[in-house]
Amino acid sequence: MKSLSLMTGNAAAAWGARLARVDYIPAYPITPQTEIIETLSSWIRNGEMDAKLVQLESEHSMLTAAGAASSTGARVFTATSSQGLLYGMEMLYNITGWRTPLVLVNVSRALAAPITLEPDHNDVLAARDSGFLQLHAENCQEIVDMILLSYRLAEDRKVMLPAIVNLDGFYLSFTRERVALPDMKKVAEFLPEYNGSNPFRASRPVAKASSVLSSNLYSYFRYQMHISSLNALSLLGRISGEFESLFGRSYGPVEEFMTDDADYVLVMTNSFSTIGKQAVVRMRSRGVRAGLLRIRMLRPFPADAIASVLAGKRAVAVFDQNIAPGSGGIIYPEIVSSLYHLKNRPEDVFPVIGGLGGKQITMGEMEMIFEMMHKGHWSAEGPHSPLYLMRNDEIESVKKNLQIAGQVVRQ
Amino acid sequence: MLLRIRFHGRGGQGGKTASRILGSAAFDEGLNVQDSPVYGAERRGAPVTAFTRISDGEILERGFIFDPDVVIVMDETLLEDPTASPLSGLREGGILFVNSSRKPDELNVNLDGVEVVTLNITDMALELLGKPILSTASAAVAAKLISVVSPDAVTSAVRGELGEGSLSPEAIQMNVALAGRAFSLVPSFKLSTKENYSPGTVVPIGVISGMEGSEDILLVGNSALRKTGDWRIYAPTIDYEKCTNCMICYAYCPESAMVIETDGRPVIDMENCKGCLICYRECPTKAISITREVRAL
Repeated sequence: MKSLSLMTGNAAAAWGARLARVDYIPAYPITPQTEIIETLSSWIRNGEMDAKLVQLESEHSMLTAAGAASSTGARVFTATSSQGLLYGMEMLYNITGWRTPLVLVNVSRALAAPITLEPDHNDVLAARDSGFLQLHAENCQEIVDMILLSYRLAEDRKVMLPAIVNLDGFYLSFTRERVALPDMKKVAEFLPEYNGSNPFRASRPVAKASSVLSSNLYSYFRYQMHISSLNALSLLGRISGEFESLFGRSYGPVEEFMTDDADYVLVMTNSFSTIGKQAVVRMRSRGVRAGLLRIRMLRPFPADAIASVLAGKRAVAVFDQNIAPGSGGIIYPEIVSSLYHLKNRPEDVFPVIGGLGGKQITMGEMEMIFEMMHKGHWSAEGPHSPLYLMRNDEIESVKKNLQIAGQVVRQ
Repeated sequence: MLLRIRFHGRGGQGGKTASRILGSAAFDEGLNVQDSPVYGAERRGAPVTAFTRISDGEILERGFIFDPDVVIVMDETLLEDPTASPLSGLREGGILFVNSSRKPDELNVNLDGVEVVTLNITDMALELLGKPILSTASAAVAAKLISVVSPDAVTSAVRGELGEGSLSPEAIQMNVALAGRAFSLVPSFKLSTKENYSPGTVVPIGVISGMEGSEDILLVGNSALRKTGDWRIYAPTIDYEKCTNCMICYAYCPESAMVIETDGRPVIDMENCKGCLICYRECPTKAISITREVRAL
């Protein structure tokens, strides 16, 4: 394997699991994630990887098996997408409570109905409050690296929580780009073998997942989970330095792209951030001091890091590639609440909703967001009302489709 | 430098592989590359679009290419397909390649400042591979048109990309030959594309009434105007002297394009026959023959 190669996001995810030397992979297929499992399965079959892969009968069973195996002290990897994540939702909350440090890759795909294949983040954000750590990737390189970082974070005694690494379907899963694969020996140095605490062993009974019927015990363990999750934030700072010294790449909980002297900052997550960065470069060439803040770590939420970047900016726009019907974007209120205590908080924090179901975004739309921030003109309903990205040509194509389907568009 | 190449093909023709061969060849030349396909539910014959971005710097783009420098149309019938719309956004100064035996001025394509190039790569593939698989020829054509990828890099990318599959060494060698021939037969042009993107106007959500609650389809036959037989490259013909009305062809046709007449005879619906040739292979009395069609409908 050359040190630099072209690979898809799905291949990068499989490499992450291989380099992490995982022991057990419970699997269930779903587009656009299936290639990850297929790749791992072929490596195991060819003897290139020493792990056990089992196909379960559903994502619910898959996650149960993942949590149970992790409880025995095995290093566990699994992957799903969209409806699969929702089908396993009950177990997400269980295995965080079991404190099993496995890594789950979610390949974002918008939720049904209507059913579709391309990405938005309602799937992974439905797991937002499950207790999983969440790292969201912008490119294929980050997928490999985030899986390695996730195991380090998850398996730390102060954390002991599972982690989700999120990558966008199609935009990353099926997109090839340049990836530098970390050297296996250095990976072993960064991520040693996992030694679980209190694992199941023959002749040494341990009761796991025992019920607590008292509310004080329940509260105690829920607070434990919350504090453990927050511990991952400071831990990331430390292990990111270690990672950088070994591999030359550094990962804070947020990425600052031309934000230092920026007046107008767009907050984004995941792969569409690349398009946002181009808009920043173009606005800069026209003399507008634009910048982009990308949230890499969504859980624990890096509120302080976000506040320190956005403090004193003239205007901020938050791009939510998700929609909470009846409310708006899911990340917008989290950004606003991290800024409210600041004396020099940005005067305007504008919400944007776009890219639902992978809806393509033109450079013109990205630049328009910066123009609106620059002019301070937001929607007629007020600055807190989201800008919903939908172009006139897209509305026309929707009308055409509805007519073909026999529906009349009322206006 | 950032070159954007968009491939338009049909499921099964090799559009995705073409974008990867071109990507690998450019990567081999030391350039930065991003390639990706877009397709819906995977289905042979459905329009497939694939993209290759090539740059000597970082690529701050992702996903769909709205404003390509080069468009490669691997199936001529896609020119008229409204869902594929292969010409959309092609930049002035760019190049359009169409896999066709017709001359550029016979294509009825009116694009200002766009160089139109045609070559029948389907016949080339049939001759060398025995199959209408166009990935290597399309990638080679694109490589020649963008002038930054050498024929040697294309050859090694063809070997690299096809070597991962189950192809025999002979088949890979024929693909290398096909790439070489396509590369040499396509003229080279100087790209002189200008920035072309149309921003599109964002419309207020107020145009959405909230009254179209779900994606219900209220009309039957809403794809009646879409003739799915237009990408056929071989047409089956039934010899009724040999046909015994056994209905094997009817049972096997995956497109329901074999219709049984009241007298029991099978008749092929040529507007929707996709030319998969399963009937030709399955007919127990060898009553079905095939002929090459350059343009089906």
